[in-house]
Amino acid sequence: MRTAYRPRTFVLELVMVATAVAFLFPVYALVTLAFKDPEQIANAPLSPPDPPSVDSFGTAWQSASLGSALLNSTLITVSSVVVLIVLGSLAAYFLARQAGRLSYSLYILFLVGIILPFQLGMIPLYQLVNDLGLLGTYQGMILFYTGIQLPFTVFLYTGFIRSLPADYTNAALIDGASHLQAFVHVIFPLLRPITGTVLILNAVHIWNDFFTPLLYLGGSGRETVPVRVFAFVNEYTSDYGLVAAGLVLAALPILVVFLLLQRYVIRGFSSGLKG
Amino acid sequence: MASEIIRPQVSRRRLLQLMGGVAVAGTLAGCGGGNSAGGSGGGPLKVIGAGSQEAGLRKALDEYKKQNSSFDFNLSFSPADQLQTALRAQLAAGNAPDMHAVYPGNGSAMSMVQLSKANLLTDLSDQAWTQKIPTGFKGAYQQDGKTFIFSPGTSVLGAIYNKKAFAKAGVEVPTTWSELLTVCETLKKKGIVPLALGAQTPWVTQLINYALVPGTVYAKQPDFDDKMAAGSATFAGSGWADAMNKYLELQKRGFFNDNPNGTTYEQATSMVGTGKAAMAVQVSAVLQAYRDAAPSPDDLGMFPLPATDTVADNWIPGGIVVGLAVSAKSKKADEARKFIEFCGQPDMINTWAEAVACVPLYSEGEAKVDPVLKPFLHYLSGNKAVPFMDQRWPNAEVQPTHFAVVQELLGGKTTVDGALKKMDEAYRKTA
Amino acid sequence: MTAVMAPPVKPAPPPVKRVRRGGGIAPPWLFAAPALLVYALVMLYPSIVGAGSAFTDWSGVGEQRSFVGFDNFQELVHDDQALGALRNTLLLTLAIVVVQNGLGLLLALGVHTTIKSRMVLRVIFFAPVVVSPVMVSFLWKYVYNPAPDAGLNAALNAVGLGALRQDWLGDPSLAIWSVAFTVIWQCAGYSMVIFLAGLEGVPKELHESAMVDGAGTVARFRHITWPLLAPAVTINVMLSTVGGLTLFTQIIAMTNGGPGYATDTLSTVLYKQAFVFGKFGYSTAVALVLAIFVAAVSFLQIGYLRSRETTA
Repeated sequence: MRTAYRPRTFVLELVMVATAVAFLFPVYALVTLAFKDPEQIANAPLSPPDPPSVDSFGTAWQSASLGSALLNSTLITVSSVVVLIVLGSLAAYFLARQAGRLSYSLYILFLVGIILPFQLGMIPLYQLVNDLGLLGTYQGMILFYTGIQLPFTVFLYTGFIRSLPADYTNAALIDGASHLQAFVHVIFPLLRPITGTVLILNAVHIWNDFFTPLLYLGGSGRETVPVRVFAFVNEYTSDYGLVAAGLVLAALPILVVFLLLQRYVIRGFSSGLKG
Repeated sequence: MASEIIRPQVSRRRLLQLMGGVAVAGTLAGCGGGNSAGGSGGGPLKVIGAGSQEAGLRKALDEYKKQNSSFDFNLSFSPADQLQTALRAQLAAGNAPDMHAVYPGNGSAMSMVQLSKANLLTDLSDQAWTQKIPTGFKGAYQQDGKTFIFSPGTSVLGAIYNKKAFAKAGVEVPTTWSELLTVCETLKKKGIVPLALGAQTPWVTQLINYALVPGTVYAKQPDFDDKMAAGSATFAGSGWADAMNKYLELQKRGFFNDNPNGTTYEQATSMVGTGKAAMAVQVSAVLQAYRDAAPSPDDLGMFPLPATDTVADNWIPGGIVVGLAVSAKSKKADEARKFIEFCGQPDMINTWAEAVACVPLYSEGEAKVDPVLKPFLHYLSGNKAVPFMDQRWPNAEVQPTHFAVVQELLGGKTTVDGALKKMDEAYRKTA
Repeated sequence: MTAVMAPPVKPAPPPVKRVRRGGGIAPPWLFAAPALLVYALVMLYPSIVGAGSAFTDWSGVGEQRSFVGFDNFQELVHDDQALGALRNTLLLTLAIVVVQNGLGLLLALGVHTTIKSRMVLRVIFFAPVVVSPVMVSFLWKYVYNPAPDAGLNAALNAVGLGALRQDWLGDPSLAIWSVAFTVIWQCAGYSMVIFLAGLEGVPKELHESAMVDGAGTVARFRHITWPLLAPAVTINVMLSTVGGLTLFTQIIAMTNGGPGYATDTLSTVLYKQAFVFGKFGYSTAVALVLAIFVAAVSFLQIGYLRSRETTA
């Protein structure tokens, strides 16, 4: 109910801003910590840094090798998401448009993947990736994420495609286009909203995933950001300032991307999931 | 969107390659696997160590490489819990590194007994240094008469203390349990936390019991472990109850920092280093971390924690430190064995032992021992040292159960009887 | 939301003459093949092989394993630790579902108004969603430092609430709620945006006519907004339930299941059985039970929530 700005609205505004301030307290604690030297941390844990010191950031960036970790994370996330979009939309198009018991069973088979706990297949999969010679490689991670995230991706795409009228493709097909051409030129552009959702949900998940890259990439030199940060935090755990700086640096890239694209990200998270 | 149109072909082709890979891997497995890669193979020796052995292991590898120009290695470390995860996944997949950290004795999923039973470790029995293993420690290195791990020696467990804090309170090193309580009382009155306890970190929870049971259990019943194995003894009703009650007494009298269950190992370390706390019960292997936390390394000393009021009964816990084993599946086993043989030489053992503040397995002439460990040496030579208890526990479940019940005791969620009953139940489970 | 893009301009189809061979308009199998292959390779095959070990006594390493039938499942029924973990899992899930969604709804209602800061606030409340759970856990582990002069305790003291200082992660009765709160802090923004999308779909006219009829804010929420939010409630409850039942990273990073067994969940127990206790077969049995449990809960929930949507 977007009505006029009334005294009641002002009270609400105050309440909401106060909530946000309380909500941000942990972030404040972390960021100020990162700018303090050990003495300030010991004596004045909550006051603003005075004078602020940026030493910790340089040390953290170096010791956690965050530069290359960012590169690794970006490469793995972008490639996985692209493969997911291509494979997921194609499969969903088939599942949504092919009537029949077989394709329905296939759809259910994909849905099962959403609730399978990853621990169940963890060791056999590790064995398989090892046998394929893909341990410690980007390809191994991309293959893993594609497989793991396909169920959810297929689920989102299928639901969306089912809500589209079939007429457009029929028209194109009758025009003599091949199925692939019809998909590429007609269907895929129509999928833009849900593709945005798929892209954002998968990218956030893959970027932030921790356990699998720890298992698959540990010691390979291709570790992603969360793995490097985890090792770094464990190593310097008693040096709060340094740990805080490492955490701030590691969280910054995705937060910056989020702030730049906030409207799309928020829409991506909420749309497509709306029933 | 154009770029995405082209991708399907690419990934389909890659997928076919992958499927090809599966087929190939399947064939190899059919031929018995492993052997196919041919000979010793190139590339560096892959080594995964435990965080606590880093200083010594790195020195040994560097030194060996200096002497053998053709030798190369790839060394990585991980803290205890990650080691467990990553290494076990690799072992499960038959992808073990050539050499890796293994805990001595039994009692953990990454222990010598458990792994050698699964045929995952290479027999080292023909190496010269294995002849020097004292009878009392054979159980740590050997299973069925075969030696499976190398370890540079014994680490002891006692109280690491801040000398300045002791001086400030005017107290001396205690030699009996009652003296220990008096010392704590005096420290507390001076506003110093007597004992820092970081029990949020699971492995720290066990240390005070480990320091006490040599006195409350083993001094009276040196064959306690055998009786346990035979089923004629239980934790409940043994000197373990005495030890746990003493643990709780320290808490009830306010001798620990506030909220030990919420305090981490690192926080406890820094308390002792800075003198905010006076003591922490710890293994000598972590001395370096305490020294790093103190203004000067000389501020810190170590003494055996007295468990009883009878000085003669105050035995100490002294256990073989985390070791190194050669994977049974390694294609470079010969190279790895040569390196282990190198580590077993007296000067190398000494160097490694010194780096991790432990007492060397054996030495020719005077061993170089960290001076802080001097008060412990006569216990070791006088056979009054008991290996860390878990090394003779039959499965990997007793130790984590011990961690959990101590946290429950500290949190007031169980009783000593209840805690020991749980440990007995875990002990009786099959390996 | 999902405003469908204008379709590319195509001339009207000519009269149907050239019907394609095969007659159908359905795309060929080949479209699903790559996805199916990767899915089978990465999820189905390993999960089936893994599930097989639930009926063995495999330690997780080495060759020795023998078939033990349903022994692992029988052990599970008598395993106090697993039963305690089940209880914790349910408590955590309940707390997360109720509080996260309640808070998310309040936040959504708060920013779905004319307040000036509404856009900034949305961004602030949503931001933690995109940060890695591991990092959020580390952050909160610091915030939960039990020392009276650090983190949350210091903040409480600073605002005159010093009496509320706690051993947040060390007190066995409190630890589970502290973990739940961390999850709620990170995910409340997620619930908020889903509710916001729902609120945006509520027609203004309904509110206006209700106001003319003299309905107050509460009455309008109860009779107009809340029923129309039903689909958003379904999504939110489903997502947070599955998230709560399978919660793992935050617990391992913050408490490792402790103190004692106070924060162990089914996920942490099956992890520990596999990697710490060396009982891989048993661990897989726990994983299977968890999977079936999650499936059953989701199924029941979706049935109930959907029927609620239609009757609302």
